[in-house]
Amino acid sequence: MTETAMELIDVKKTIGSKEIIKGLSFEIHKGEVFGFIGPNGAGKTTTIRMMVGLMGLSDGDVRILGNSIKSEYKDAIREVGAIVENPEMYPFMTGRQNLRHYARMMPGVTQERIEEVIKIVGLEKPINEKAGKYSLGMRQRLGIAQALLHKPSVLILDEPTNGLDPAGIREIRQYIRQLAEEENVAVIISSHLLSEIEQMCDRIGLIKNGEIIATQDVNAATEQTTAVEIQMDVTPTQQAIEVLKEDFDLNATTAKEMVTIRAERDMIPNIIQSFVSHDIKVYQVTMSKSSLEDKFFDLIGENTIE
Amino acid sequence: MSNFFQLLINEQFKLYIRKSTWIMYILTAVLILGLALLANFAAGNTVLYQAAEDDNWRQTLQDDNAEMQQEMEQGEMMQGVYTSQIERNNYYLENDIQPASYDAWQFVMENEMLLSLVSLFTIIVAAGIIANEFKWGTIKLLLIRPITRTKILASKYLSVLLFALFTLLFVLLFSWITGALFFGVNGMDPHIVMNQSEGYAYVSVIGQIVEGYGLQLVTLVMMATFAFMISAIFRQSSLAIGIAIFLMLSGNAIVTFFADYNWAKYILFANTNMGQYVNGSPMFEGMTLGFSITVLAVYYVIFLAVSWLFFTKRDVAGH
Repeated sequence: MTETAMELIDVKKTIGSKEIIKGLSFEIHKGEVFGFIGPNGAGKTTTIRMMVGLMGLSDGDVRILGNSIKSEYKDAIREVGAIVENPEMYPFMTGRQNLRHYARMMPGVTQERIEEVIKIVGLEKPINEKAGKYSLGMRQRLGIAQALLHKPSVLILDEPTNGLDPAGIREIRQYIRQLAEEENVAVIISSHLLSEIEQMCDRIGLIKNGEIIATQDVNAATEQTTAVEIQMDVTPTQQAIEVLKEDFDLNATTAKEMVTIRAERDMIPNIIQSFVSHDIKVYQVTMSKSSLEDKFFDLIGENTIE
Repeated sequence: MSNFFQLLINEQFKLYIRKSTWIMYILTAVLILGLALLANFAAGNTVLYQAAEDDNWRQTLQDDNAEMQQEMEQGEMMQGVYTSQIERNNYYLENDIQPASYDAWQFVMENEMLLSLVSLFTIIVAAGIIANEFKWGTIKLLLIRPITRTKILASKYLSVLLFALFTLLFVLLFSWITGALFFGVNGMDPHIVMNQSEGYAYVSVIGQIVEGYGLQLVTLVMMATFAFMISAIFRQSSLAIGIAIFLMLSGNAIVTFFADYNWAKYILFANTNMGQYVNGSPMFEGMTLGFSITVLAVYYVIFLAVSWLFFTKRDVAGH
């Protein structure tokens, strides 16, 4: 249904005698935001470094719009914009000088384009200040700006919201969605902030110990797991537990004045209705954990590095 | 080719926008001014330069000779220096040449020693040009462009040589201008009597400048290339600066230490001093200009090949 923007074919990386990446294969489509998540040390950054040619592949291949990163490096990398780990800039140069520096290294980046990306990431004010004075959030924006300069087909962002304030996160999230939907860019985002991935991505790949253990549609993931943990602040508590038992056949527990149950999301309105009819006061109802997070921990297990 | 030019612009920009680079130039300028002040004091007291101003210069030189002769008979001190100076004065007298006054050209010639400072600065730049990108973390963003690593490396190496060239031109120009302001200019091609390998001769100052600076450039380029290689291997500038400067300073000692062995003549530092062929006294028997050039070329190619190998083939992993 969709075109492939980037393809990893049995990518392996061996350092010394240790196999760090054990044969990764997956595709990222045009116009899709792909979340790349996994615990620390799982091999996210190593994989990203191989995608952009900073590290050589021990085996397998990475193809970007059909061009191999190994044999057609220039054609492949031309379509990639990336931040790898922290967005490090030349501290003694201004934001604009940094962008010009990278613009000189790529064909067809005009002066207008530079001004355009500055506007996109909202750095108009500090752009003439030295990058060394930038906050992490500002450097993150500058990093995204340099990745966008040449209008890449594939955008790879390592922890892009790291250091941004909530407003900044939302802005960048909206912009990433817009890039994918309107300009058909394939965006790859690595993160361990699950809620971020959930809100931003169409699909996620879970990596653990150098292996992809699942690729999953985000929407499917949230729909699949039906039973979620629901916490309710109600009085009187005892009566509420009885109602839950009688009307819905749910075993509730209490902790810190809160009534906790596991139930489907759809049941919440019915439960509240029932509480109201029994004269139980409802102060607050929350779903404590996102379903993706549950899934993540189910798949990853403990956060251990083998 | 045009994108290589863009890379050069980038490298030069990154070099000259930093204060540390400008401090190098300021230091050099201050040093040149200091040397001019020193030379200003010294020149007034020298017989040669008094003779240059004097119509009666023959008499001045003869008086000077007589005075030195007398002092030599009284004591053993300064024998060598006096003999040499008398010889030089006699050369002027015998050939009926009036000594030229001290001027900008001679000042430039004497500042030849500043090339070791230029070498030092070039080593610092060469050591940092790769290592700093790793230190700043910018290497990751630099290498993910549609440009081969070989080209990026070449632009960096050429940038080091350009820096050396600009700094050399700065030393020449600033010395000449300072010299001209302090001492004036004696025409466009002044000659002086100097001690050459075959005794005293009347030589062109400009010729001496070209020879003196040119010979030192050999060491400069070799050591800068060496520092560049260390920087590419270890990705650490302080190490590269340290090793290169240590070797530059101890080069002659190393050669002397191994002088008894036949292979000592293959040591880099036995060959960097091209002056040995101008003087006609090579360090080791059987060494020729051709031999040294070959040895230097081999070292040079190895330095560059190793730099290339490490820069293009090695992974850019985490810090």
